[in-house]
Amino acid sequence: MQEKPQVHPPRTLFELFTGFLAISARSFGGVLPWAHRTMVEERRWLTPQDFAETIGLCQFLPGPNIGNASIVLGKRWFGLRGAIVAFLGLVALPFVWVIALGVLYLDYATNPTVNAVVTGVGLAGAGLLVGTAIKLGRDLVRKPAALALLGACFLAVGLARQPMYLVLPVALAIALFAARRGWL
Amino acid sequence: MILLEILFWFALLSLLAFGGMPAVMPEMQRLVVDVNGWATAEEFIQLFALGQAAPGPNVLIVSLIGWKVAGLAGALVALFAVCGPSAALAWWVAGLWERFKDSPWRHAIGRAIAPLLVGLFLSSGYVLATPGAPDWRLWLITGAAAAAYLATKVNPLWILAAGGLAGPLLLN
Repeated sequence: MQEKPQVHPPRTLFELFTGFLAISARSFGGVLPWAHRTMVEERRWLTPQDFAETIGLCQFLPGPNIGNASIVLGKRWFGLRGAIVAFLGLVALPFVWVIALGVLYLDYATNPTVNAVVTGVGLAGAGLLVGTAIKLGRDLVRKPAALALLGACFLAVGLARQPMYLVLPVALAIALFAARRGWL
Repeated sequence: MILLEILFWFALLSLLAFGGMPAVMPEMQRLVVDVNGWATAEEFIQLFALGQAAPGPNVLIVSLIGWKVAGLAGALVALFAVCGPSAALAWWVAGLWERFKDSPWRHAIGRAIAPLLVGLFLSSGYVLATPGAPDWRLWLITGAAAAAYLATKVNPLWILAAGGLAGPLLLN
């Protein structure tokens, strides 16, 4: 007999707030794993399937994925107040943190060593993005249409530095056409 | 009025950010560096670095930019601008999404976005690692970080820390 996973959505706005605070306070180097741990494993607000569906939706939407998830889940449990509280729980602490870092950085930005360390971290962060692109791109290598779209996107946005508000609608229209024809 | 400019540009960015903030880094850099002159390309990668070194959603880089341009008010306005429009859309779409669960369009959108995202992520990495003329030292750090990320399972924080070590060794 398979046990049905028990879920207990947050009962109070305070619980909702501390849940999202717990996610953002611990999530160095990627929020989604911590969101899963907090909401699915520790607090059991959601089933794993429900979590995956919600994140899936938020990845379709523009804007920060986890920020959108805080809106969608907050709304589901407490309406508008929930959406606002969940979002604030998510950003309050990181906001204070980056501002503190920013103040420190502006004080020391003229120091060449500090400068080089911070630049090095940024370059490594850029490398994580490239690594993520390669990881995601592995599934696409056998689809010529996908490779063409990927390359065109890189040429237009990365190399030619064209504005994304021009490139994205065109690329999206072509990609949707290709997807509907079964090329992607 | 500088706050209104921040509001306008970051709200526009909010609606372009399919796939989250990484995909929209090239556009953010263009707006911040080329269009508005709020930071140099070298400063932009440092602001990006500080955003990476903080916990929580990586969207917080916009608060740093807002802070640099217009202090605390700028930081708050930038965060509100970049989250507001997409949050409103998320609020509105949450119900629709369930209704179209089996729609072929839903699957088509997913397949359509995937290759665009890969192209945009690559663009982000390239733009960040190329603030001026192409420089092999910058590309080396970025390339090594990408390789480490793909080849190992270490926490990405360690990769960022290694980048911080490599910075003064290679760049000064």
